[in-house]
Amino acid sequence: MSTERWKDDEALLESLRKGAPGAVDELLRLYQGKIFNLAMSILKNESDAEEAAQDVFMTVIRKADTFQGNSAFYSWIYRICVNTCLMRLRGKRRNETVSIEEFMPVFTDEGMHTSPMDDWSKEVERDALNEELGRMIRKYTEELSEKYRVVFVLSDVEGLSNEETARILGLTVPAIKSRLHRARLYLREQLSRYLREGKAG
Amino acid sequence: MNCKELAYMLADYCNGLMDPRLREELDVHLAKCEPCMAFTKTFQATCEKTRKLREEIEYAIPPDVCERLETFVRSAALKYPEKVEEYRDQVERDRREKVAGLVRAATSGNLSSAMALLAESHCAACPECREYFDALRNTGTPGAGEPPEGVRSHLIALMQALPPGEEFFLA
Repeated sequence: MSTERWKDDEALLESLRKGAPGAVDELLRLYQGKIFNLAMSILKNESDAEEAAQDVFMTVIRKADTFQGNSAFYSWIYRICVNTCLMRLRGKRRNETVSIEEFMPVFTDEGMHTSPMDDWSKEVERDALNEELGRMIRKYTEELSEKYRVVFVLSDVEGLSNEETARILGLTVPAIKSRLHRARLYLREQLSRYLREGKAG
Repeated sequence: MNCKELAYMLADYCNGLMDPRLREELDVHLAKCEPCMAFTKTFQATCEKTRKLREEIEYAIPPDVCERLETFVRSAALKYPEKVEEYRDQVERDRREKVAGLVRAATSGNLSSAMALLAESHCAACPECREYFDALRNTGTPGAGEPPEGVRSHLIALMQALPPGEEFFLA
């Protein structure tokens, strides 16, 4: 993360603690888009995400005083957001999610690929495909169960490091790496199938 | 190395964090295994596309959501300092009552056994509290007003040290 952001965060935290005028506005300006989107990607429903975002900001304002400076401010906010959203999910009937196992690569007992592989890496370099692929990546990500989705969103969408993601979720770095890798393998397989079907159709 | 091992090592391979000797081994496998080459390239392309998507992502928030959120948070934040004051007052009142209750129970010899034990071991190490408790027992009337600040904070700590569910007085 840039030092710029870090400085912004430090100043913001300080003014939140003091209850300085404009601190809440600054907090909203810097984070409402990020928090709403993170909540959307976990909850996948606009009104739930909106309520979660309200809770997140109230918690941040209430607890700014007790925040220990041993992690970055933004990772603290993200953690509050993730926890708030997961609590909300807990009470709900789960949305349909795909089983990630069905999209893991298949190998023979000797650990060889069972079938030939399409190399579509050149194909997707065409700019014309960008919008469509972006839409598909979002769709496939949304279909992941939250266990993977949260890790994937924090790492690959928010651009946080494995260490930061691990801190936010209270998991170990190897656990994050493994989930992230599986999420990427899943996404690769989904894109493969999508492009193959596209060709067939 | 086989194809399966390779597939699960790709993360480190792609981000350049792989041990050079392992990397060499992986490159040797890739050079002679067509499916793995295609798998690796498409894996990299997937990561690359997601990364691009991240760069393009705008933190769009629907205007009406944005407006409601701002209104809610601002008005709640305004009320918040009063709420904190209220809460702190409440906590302080509760404490004062509890301390007064403890003093009454100690005066009339009605401390629960858990509390008596705690108080005894604390008094062995704290002359100020020992003197205070002795005075309570000897005079038989609750000390006028509140205990001195030092004693008071120790009494609060003692009550907090009680196991959950235990009272400080005899029922």
